[in-house]
Amino acid sequence: MPFQLTDDQLLTRDSVREFAEAEIAPIAAEIDKNHRPPLESIPKLAEMGLLGMIIPEEYGGTGMDTVSYVIAIEELSRVCATHGVLAEAHSSLCTWPIVNYGNAEQKQKYLPDLANGNAIGAFGLTEPNAGSDAGSTSTTAVRDGDEFVLNGQKIFITNGGFAKTFVIIARSTDAPGAKGLSAFIVERDTAGFQVLEPEQKMGIRGSSTTPLAFSDCRIPAANLLGNQGEGFKIAMQILDGGRTGIAAQALGIAQGAFEAACKYAKERVQFGKPLAALQAIQWMIADMAVDIEAGRALVYQAADTEDRHEPHSQASAMAKLFCGEMATRVTGKAIQIHGGVGYTEAYPVERMYRDAKITEIYEGTSEIQRLVISRNYLR
Amino acid sequence: MRIVVAYKYAPDPQEATVASDGTLDFSRAKAIVSDYDAVAIEYGRQLADAQGAALVGVSVGGEAAAKPVATKAALARGLDEVVVVSDPELDGAGSTRTAQAIAAVVKELGDVELVLAGDSSMDVGARMVPSVLAGLLGWPMLSDVEKVTLADGSVSVERLVSEGVQSITAAAPAVVSLTSEAVKTKAPGMKDLLAAGKKPVAVKSLADSGLVAVSEGTVTARAKLDGPARKGVVIDTSDPAAAAAELVNALRAAGVLG
Ligand SMILES: Cc1cc2nc3c(=O)[nH]c(=O)nc-3n(C[C@H](O)[C@H](O)[C@H](O)COP(=O)(O)OP(=O)(O)OC[C@H]3O[C@@H](n4cnc5c(N)ncnc54)[C@H](O)[C@@H]3O)c2cc1C
Repeated sequence: MPFQLTDDQLLTRDSVREFAEAEIAPIAAEIDKNHRPPLESIPKLAEMGLLGMIIPEEYGGTGMDTVSYVIAIEELSRVCATHGVLAEAHSSLCTWPIVNYGNAEQKQKYLPDLANGNAIGAFGLTEPNAGSDAGSTSTTAVRDGDEFVLNGQKIFITNGGFAKTFVIIARSTDAPGAKGLSAFIVERDTAGFQVLEPEQKMGIRGSSTTPLAFSDCRIPAANLLGNQGEGFKIAMQILDGGRTGIAAQALGIAQGAFEAACKYAKERVQFGKPLAALQAIQWMIADMAVDIEAGRALVYQAADTEDRHEPHSQASAMAKLFCGEMATRVTGKAIQIHGGVGYTEAYPVERMYRDAKITEIYEGTSEIQRLVISRNYLR
Repeated sequence: MRIVVAYKYAPDPQEATVASDGTLDFSRAKAIVSDYDAVAIEYGRQLADAQGAALVGVSVGGEAAAKPVATKAALARGLDEVVVVSDPELDGAGSTRTAQAIAAVVKELGDVELVLAGDSSMDVGARMVPSVLAGLLGWPMLSDVEKVTLADGSVSVERLVSEGVQSITAAAPAVVSLTSEAVKTKAPGMKDLLAAGKKPVAVKSLADSGLVAVSEGTVTARAKLDGPARKGVVIDTSDPAAAAAELVNALRAAGVLG
């Protein structure tokens, strides 16, 4: 099926690219070097409407389609993967479940601030002993009158350092495994809730990745999202959408590295001619271009499937699997084309290579995507 | 009161390629609202807000200029409405016909206090349209403007000239072309894009605009681009000192340096 972007989707790309080049690209290398979360970008992202793209207009968002949303994540990631995942985790992992499972009061209470940047969102599923195996979640939420009492620990939570609104998956019933899980909204300043020291990472170093600790943390029972026992289903649906977002992040990283490689190949002269005149380099460029276009087709296809309200877990798993591995391949070739300088901080491709790797890991590793995909064929 | 911004939907020079004879090939460049005209739209928005005026975009071009993606791109930058004179015959129109078409729209709109234009068109760069337009309207023309103030039927501007800044006041209405630095543009946000889809767009053909399609004049002579064609020598700059030496040697060899 040939995919044709609408005018609005094309204009979204142009606008986000213009914004990203002007406001984000200039700080991308610095926030990476200093492991610094780009807090100054939050009001700018909010003003651009990039924090409320999937929030309906009545709650202060722009209620745009999923294809436009992934284009925005792609364009942010093209210049800075940290900004890409900041907006992605906020939107796909925290905003999405509130839009889709929140009741009227929850939407009214949380969505306007998430749209205007007063609150950044985060999502806590992973625990020290529950990574790929999310059904083993052991953080507990015990009902006590009008409250739930949370105890336990989460790790690797994106946006943890500054998020105000957290969607947390915890065990709230005696049902075994995945069936006992529920989703909750937890506000940052709740007593008994603590955000711990951020991880020092290989890539997306400006992204804040923190553990969360719950110690007799009491939240109103009204903060239950969806029904008791629906937590695993909600988490898996969050990830079905989120994976398309991460695929878009990977796609953007690859696109940025590809453009840098083309530019360098035209400028750098060896043996009396630009690298671009060497067939070995031309072939790498061709392979990178094909890889990226194939990934783009999968990403937009997955987003469009979601927009058509059709089951999209298969499409998003394929997009994430392919784009994660593709971004690692493409950024690796981009370094190769740069030679020695590509391995240094003087050029952006080493950062992009480090950033690309995470897209094979979070929101479900490549192995887990293969599991999801193969299951559909081997039932 | 209306403030008009004349804008061009033109191929992006950043995507043009330089042919071996030194001419620019725009055939694969994507069209956008000219960067310089985006400055005029942003400036116009601020002036219109201060004056309580309506900000009307006027564009002249071929069929591409009237496509929704083109008009939305301009509206998203802050215009209240646009009027496009679009006709296959106007594709690539020169300054005279472009200015005639804009003048016709400005006259028809009425109540126009100011026409703003960008520094030049992004693709051609002749810087002629505002002057021809002012001539056709019989209005003052102020170029290279960094700052505009509208008050009591007059237009006061600060012009950037080689000696410094020149302040001039002229009777309104007037045509003003802004420098590319007059204001910093911002990317349209998602709300601007949504709003753009709801703003009015009027598309006119040459016939509706009541224009006589005059010719651009007769070409009496064509000059080749100056100098010999480029040699395409590329110097690797990874070692700046070596690159400088290589450049000097190349210029000496070409007889440019003694
Ligand atoms: C920077 C960063 C940000 C993150 N952000 C968030 C966040 O915001 N919220 C959140 O909840 N989590 C987040 N995570 C957690 C992330 O989703 C997990 O790390 C990921 O799902 C893998 O889990 P794990 O690390 O426990 O690895 P493990 O599950 O221990 O996996 C280790 C290896 O075993 C393989 N493996 C495991 N099970 C299987 C299987 N059944 N079949 C085949 N292979 C298997 C894996 O593929 C992997 O190769 C983040 C992680 C990082 C590093």
